[in-house]
Amino acid sequence: MKTYARFPDLFEELFYQALRIRLFEERIIALYPSDKIQSPVHLSIGQEAAAVGACRQLEPADLLFCSYRSHAYYLAKGGPMPAMMAELYGKVTGCGQGKAGSMHLAAPEVGLMGCSAVVASTIPHAVGAALAAKLQKQSRIIVAVFGDGATDEGVYHESLNFAALHKLPVIFLCENNGWAAYSPVAARHAYQLRKQAQVYGIPASAVEEGFCPLKVYKAFGRVVDQVRKTSSPCFIEVKTSRYREHVGIGDDFSSGIRQRAELEAWQAKDPLIQRQDLVAKYTPDIAAEIDAAVRYAEESPWPGPEELLKDVI
Amino acid sequence: MTSPTNSDVLTYREAVHQTMRAALRDNPRTIIIGQGVDDHKGIFGSTAGLLKEFGGERVMDTPLAEEGVTGIALGAALNGLYPIQTHIRADFILLAMNQLINLAAKYKYMFGGRFQVPMLIRVVIGRSWGQGAQHSQSFQSLFAHVPGLVVIMPSSPQTILESYPYVIRQHPGPVIAFEHRLMYDLKFHMSELRVGHSPLTSFRIRAGKHVTIVATSIMVMEAVRAAEHLARHSDIDCEIIDLHCVSHPDQELILASLAKTGKLLVADTSWKAYGVCAEVCRLVAERAPGLLQAPVVTLGMQPAPCPTAKSLEDLFYPNLRDLTDALAALVKGRRDHGIRLPDEKSMADVYKKFKGPF
Ligand SMILES: Cc1ncc(C[n+]2csc(CCOP(=O)(O)OP(=O)(O)O)c2C)c(N)n1
Repeated sequence: MKTYARFPDLFEELFYQALRIRLFEERIIALYPSDKIQSPVHLSIGQEAAAVGACRQLEPADLLFCSYRSHAYYLAKGGPMPAMMAELYGKVTGCGQGKAGSMHLAAPEVGLMGCSAVVASTIPHAVGAALAAKLQKQSRIIVAVFGDGATDEGVYHESLNFAALHKLPVIFLCENNGWAAYSPVAARHAYQLRKQAQVYGIPASAVEEGFCPLKVYKAFGRVVDQVRKTSSPCFIEVKTSRYREHVGIGDDFSSGIRQRAELEAWQAKDPLIQRQDLVAKYTPDIAAEIDAAVRYAEESPWPGPEELLKDVI
Repeated sequence: MTSPTNSDVLTYREAVHQTMRAALRDNPRTIIIGQGVDDHKGIFGSTAGLLKEFGGERVMDTPLAEEGVTGIALGAALNGLYPIQTHIRADFILLAMNQLINLAAKYKYMFGGRFQVPMLIRVVIGRSWGQGAQHSQSFQSLFAHVPGLVVIMPSSPQTILESYPYVIRQHPGPVIAFEHRLMYDLKFHMSELRVGHSPLTSFRIRAGKHVTIVATSIMVMEAVRAAEHLARHSDIDCEIIDLHCVSHPDQELILASLAKTGKLLVADTSWKAYGVCAEVCRLVAERAPGLLQAPVVTLGMQPAPCPTAKSLEDLFYPNLRDLTDALAALVKGRRDHGIRLPDEKSMADVYKKFKGPF
């Protein structure tokens, strides 16, 4: 990831990265009614700190596997913004040449190895990439990013077991926003996330203040150090909050699923809301970058018919 | 790189074993991963001894976690390994459908060509000795249905020696190979390996004038036996096409044969509806229905789960007698063709080497 000499401290740098993601997604919200983006978007607004704090600890060679809620990771790992916006527009210059949309972002040049819309399905990929890293004596580590809902799936448990059994350099990063679509954790889990990982002998920790990129950064750094040192898996849970609806640009209040108060308590601690001084300081730069990405997307051509059957085999 | 050697007589098992050993020897990034690949039985002998020669990191037993392990193989492929995954029965691949169809098949296309996931998945079709409803299924058409997957059904050591090294060295995506348990112990005569073009296609293995038989897997061998019987006991001359790559068959080869014979029989190892039989009919119906001088005849499993009692199992699968009778009736245009039929009732009796239990 790029570092900015101009930041007075690490907090501001991380703040900048988180703000960049939030403003990018707010631009999606602004554009969405125009139907220029015809792709189901799973926004990370409220959850940016997890991606920013984690990715700041990773090297470009470290690999990341994510879900459909991956805008934040794409940007935080260093994926180019214009190619991402073009992908959301369905343009041939997009990071997936217009075949991926919002849910299948990838940027292998910076280690984002794929995002899947089938819940939990990339978790074993991270384990497999870690197996390959071990057998080829690579020094990279691999990160699987997923939500609390993904841990309901059998393949998650298969993946934890295999990683622990073979001592693979993989981090299981669970963004616990408390919901799988419209189903709360309490309606789904007989287990407790960290205890469950520990059953496999996997060290498990948590970040309670998932709104703070610096806190995530520090906690994730400890996990990264441990995995690099022991070449064995770790689990980390980042408690977080999704401000928008599961998919799309709406919220969960009009449907009565969630209470405003729940969110407001979290937002009262969210630096992207509380630090308006920094928001004002960095917004012009970021807005200009987003404008350029939008322009790139709008000016780019659609994929032509020759693309339809390309890359099938 | 060295090729597996070509000798005069080889069992199916020996052919698979040769290719597995060569794959590990020729490329340090190849791994074999699956339940039991390292045990004393070694997937019916096809991986026997490889643990000792190449070590547990490359010949890796797995937990009973088909979906997870398929995803792990995919992830390993993304990070530079060539995984060969095994399932001792094709039935078990159903637990990996999500990874194969939602992920592996699409990993190239869905990301605009930015990734490739080369890998070989070997599954073994079971038959006879009471394999029953869940150890006998033959799911080639489920996977051949899905763009992005290549499905082959080796019918002989020859096709194994031609296909596996090619797939392992050169094919950029996932390939599923359906092997047949009943052929494992059989000795086959070898011919010169056909090299110089992709083996991911179909092969004409017998030239004939009167009827085109399109067959898969062990049904190719049955077709050869039926053709030889008819050659001995009648003037019927059968042409046989080994469909082999069921996902990407050689359509021109089939149509050219049909242009010559005008009659088509399709013999597959699975159910007929929505399967290989139906697909070959689609090809002809769409591209050249005028070539047909008689309705197509298809042979496959009866439309029921596979029973275990031998009396029922023998009815469930088409036997040599059924196949020969169907060919004679098709070519002669009448059921009372008067041609002597082999009095074999059960294929399992012929492949006597398979004595179970598995
Ligand atoms: C296998 C599968 N089951 C169900 C769905 C529908 N679905 C999409 S996202 C989602 C919720 C997942 O929640 P979680 O893993 O906590 O991640 P979050 O969306 O909160 O980031 C569900 C049920 C799906 N895409 N895939």
